[in-house]
Amino acid sequence: MGQSVPRLEDEKLLTGRALFVDDVQLPAMLHVAFLRSDEAHGILKGIDASAARERPGVVAVYTAADLGEYWRPGPLLVPPPPIKDLVFNAATQVPLVRDKVRHTGEALAMVIAESRYLAEDALEDIVVDLDPLPAVIDLEAALEPGAQLIHEQFGTNLAAHVHQTKGNYATAREEAGLVITRRFRYDRGASAAIENRGIVAAWDARSEELTVWDTTQAPIPIRNGLAAMLGLRESQVRVIAPFIGGGFGPKIMMFYPEEVLLPWAAMRLGRPLKWIEDRRENFYATTQERLQIHDAELAVTKDGRILGVKDRFLHDTGAYDPYGLTVPINSQCTLLGPYVVPNYDSEFTAVFTNTPIVTPVRGAGRQHGVFVMERLLDFAARELGIDRVEIRRRNLIPPDAFPYDHEILFQDFRPLVYDSGNYPAALAKATELIGYERFLKEEQPKHRSAGRHVGMGVVTYIEGTGIGPYEGARVTVEPSGMVRLATGVGTQGQGHFTTFAQLVAEQLGVEVDRVRVVTGDTREFNWGTGTFASRGAVVAGNACHAAAVKVREKIIALAARLLDTPPKDIVLEGGRALVRGTPDRGFDLGDLARRANPLRGAVTPGTEPGLEATAYFGPDRGNAASGVHAMIVEVDAETAAVDIKRYVVVHDCGVVINPTVVEAQVQGGVAHGIGNAFYEQLVFDENGQLMNASFMDYLLPTALDVPTVEMAHFETPSPLNPLGTKGVGEAGAIPTGALFAQAVEDALAGSGVEITEIPLSPSRLFELISRAKAGVP
Amino acid sequence: MDGHGPIAVTVNGTRHERSVEPRLLLSDFLRHDLGLTGTHVGCEHGVCGACTVLLDGEAVRSCLIFAIQTDGRSVETVESLASNGTLHPIQQAFHDAHGLQCGFCTPGILMTLVPWLEEHPAPDEAEIREAISGNLCRCTGYANIVKAVQLAVERRAAERRDVGKAGTTA
Amino acid sequence: MIVEGTYTFAGPREVVWNLLLDPDVLAMTMPGTATIKRVSDTRYEGKMGVGIGPITAAEFDVVITMTDRVEPERYAMQIEGRGRFGFTRGHAAVTLSADGAATIMHYQADLMVGGKIAAVGQRLLDSVSRMLLKQGLEAMSAELDRRLAKGSG
Repeated sequence: MGQSVPRLEDEKLLTGRALFVDDVQLPAMLHVAFLRSDEAHGILKGIDASAARERPGVVAVYTAADLGEYWRPGPLLVPPPPIKDLVFNAATQVPLVRDKVRHTGEALAMVIAESRYLAEDALEDIVVDLDPLPAVIDLEAALEPGAQLIHEQFGTNLAAHVHQTKGNYATAREEAGLVITRRFRYDRGASAAIENRGIVAAWDARSEELTVWDTTQAPIPIRNGLAAMLGLRESQVRVIAPFIGGGFGPKIMMFYPEEVLLPWAAMRLGRPLKWIEDRRENFYATTQERLQIHDAELAVTKDGRILGVKDRFLHDTGAYDPYGLTVPINSQCTLLGPYVVPNYDSEFTAVFTNTPIVTPVRGAGRQHGVFVMERLLDFAARELGIDRVEIRRRNLIPPDAFPYDHEILFQDFRPLVYDSGNYPAALAKATELIGYERFLKEEQPKHRSAGRHVGMGVVTYIEGTGIGPYEGARVTVEPSGMVRLATGVGTQGQGHFTTFAQLVAEQLGVEVDRVRVVTGDTREFNWGTGTFASRGAVVAGNACHAAAVKVREKIIALAARLLDTPPKDIVLEGGRALVRGTPDRGFDLGDLARRANPLRGAVTPGTEPGLEATAYFGPDRGNAASGVHAMIVEVDAETAAVDIKRYVVVHDCGVVINPTVVEAQVQGGVAHGIGNAFYEQLVFDENGQLMNASFMDYLLPTALDVPTVEMAHFETPSPLNPLGTKGVGEAGAIPTGALFAQAVEDALAGSGVEITEIPLSPSRLFELISRAKAGVP
Repeated sequence: MDGHGPIAVTVNGTRHERSVEPRLLLSDFLRHDLGLTGTHVGCEHGVCGACTVLLDGEAVRSCLIFAIQTDGRSVETVESLASNGTLHPIQQAFHDAHGLQCGFCTPGILMTLVPWLEEHPAPDEAEIREAISGNLCRCTGYANIVKAVQLAVERRAAERRDVGKAGTTA
Repeated sequence: MIVEGTYTFAGPREVVWNLLLDPDVLAMTMPGTATIKRVSDTRYEGKMGVGIGPITAAEFDVVITMTDRVEPERYAMQIEGRGRFGFTRGHAAVTLSADGAATIMHYQADLMVGGKIAAVGQRLLDSVSRMLLKQGLEAMSAELDRRLAKGSG
């Protein structure tokens, strides 16, 4: 624990030998392409694939009609939490459009051919008769009476309505010295993993086994769902998530059309099938995040203490809502941040629109809550004449107040209770690292008199991580002396092959590279839910730890018996179990493993063979990681170009397993956050057409846009799990929007520019600056 | 559609004679016809750089080149870097500096850097960032990639100094 | 996408009116190998080819429906174009006013663009459509000159 062990998985990745889904080649494999709607909303009158079927090289074409009984909407993956008076209209995605198109990119037909090139040629042969309908895009217009309906059966475009309260905001407001009211807008972004999605499905009719390679973050639930849908036993289905080129959230969306169709078709055709998403498809066919419009209000005393917050917001859920309310509930809860908020009244309406489905993308709605709260505090600070770091300091939950109960319900259906943290110390550390005082008093005035627009931002946040339900792991010492660790989660670059190995190696007294980790293969481990919500290290990590502890106990018990020594005198070191103080009296672990698995003779009743144990870990609730981001930024007043001079992160993810991995997650998260805050925006026009479905126009930050983050760690161990660890995968991406807004406003102080929207982008910022100059609101 | 055309292309030192469709992309040819799956495809429109390979020694986007254009020429992919189980110095530096997470963009970055470092043996940080500005990474935030390059540069300079020293001893 | 503007033709209104509604003239002024047929008094159908940015020579099926005709002053059109690379849909209005021996045409179109062209060709849509329009109007103007010279109208 706590060591920056170099990664075990690197060699394969560096030499190009790591297997990603598109690297899977099987004999007689066919290739799949999907015909996707280029209209956002319309009635499907008919679809004629006869010409496509005639094309040489085409093996099959399926439309909704061809699926027969198999056609059904996907499952509701995340039911709504048990919140009083909650309204939820469940509408899940369909495998192929049967009646109505509800977003651009929805799949209309599946073409299977000898090559992807031929399959795409055949797409053009398919004739679609679609009656276009007006597209529902604007969130407010969607809720007006008489608006075009996306799901007629509900009689409304309202997908959900949730109201959570704490205390009594109305009363609190009456006592306020100041009330700040603003409208905020946080727009959509794609996860844009460099590897797109992909599926390979192969059915062996003789052994009656289905093997599926899938770029999923949740192989076990996919296996279970496919088995149920296809009428197979779970043991007949093997789902493999091999090396995955980045997850970030959309790869935890499950039962995408392609995922349910390829296995079905593979079973019918008796040949392996491969579908690899291309980049343009990814912009429509893979889920994304996350437009929200907030009308928020902050009531504070004259000295900046928060009396209460009221927030009414609209959340764009896209055309369907299979993932329930995870994203907006995260927004609702994360808004409270590390602050004492005695009264809270938060109400949101999720709205269906004719755009691709919204499911969690790194941050999963937390950034919206942080944006609203941090901006409200900034505006309050300015109006009250209080320093913006000071106003935060005055409201932080003190370090002795844990566990701290915010009383409302979080995405894991449990009350939002923070387990541990030291927010004042983190804030102090961040301001020290970025040189806050010196910047304000000396550097900034110098910049200003030189006509330069340099500003600083400091924001704080909470990240709820490590939620249940559970994960499991199995540790086995093999006769060779190697240790095998299998767990149900998948890996998309977070270093699980190394961090989990570290946990096991520490318990068993072996070198880390003696532990071979298997993740993401349902044949290797049967139970689990997946990699999401910054929970891998916490939940799967603790399961690995627990299994390793059990094996450790078995090793010690066996060695003690064989060496005729009390267990307390056995130590595990260097791959051996030996008597403390007499290293020549001991056994290699491999040797013990062999002895624990005799071929003949008798064993003591109740003994389990081998040195193996399986353990599960399910936390009582999620924990609260936290942090502070600070940044110095210079804005060119003429071009509105933004240059980040320094970026500091102080974060607390509890006990750290591998510092290098943790820092890399923060750095990567910050890059993602910078992208979302400043460069990335999915632009849909009023007809639901995506106007920037390529990397030429959807801008990902490059090496020139992301600074090296200066980091400091705090560790307030979590009491909710034996390792004391908290999640960190999304930390970097959460407060960046709020940070940009504050820092850029600071740089442009006096110009009248107020930033209440994300992303900014140089052109949008330019526009804001121009409007401020002209006195236009 | 035009018929197939013959090409003879040397890939990682091995000559391959094949008959290909004119529209077959080099990235698909390498990955699926030759089974060299180390080169990855991220966007197919030349922006992300994951598919970068060397064509006659120059870094190119294999998603923007047709296989048929490589007739008579030579291509090198990431598989050519390590030899006999030993990592190329740039690969080793990436490992030591934690310069990769999911690893999907990594081969493209390595192939961009290999010829570039030959021409720029002593770059500063700004030059390194500029050199990889055409390679998108969604995982790392680039900081450790830069460190990896700096490490590789440092090691190479040290090696040269040692060789130099060795050469000057009588 | 909004397209609007004015253009002055060096010819009388009646001649310009006939020109604008002549399917062969329309075909000539539309980009690519265009063929337009008058299917009925109010409906024209045809094919044309357009290139925008990375997408070259995309062929479109076009249907134009004329409405609100007031000869020789004004008319409106419903336009629908569909091809493998995308589609367009919308309406346009054209008014002609006499200005001495010349005619001033005022045009205004509100077109929705969708599909691949909209997704990857956005930054070029405006400039390309303006260019195509300019080419079209100039070709029309040239045809007008020819007709007047010939004495036909």
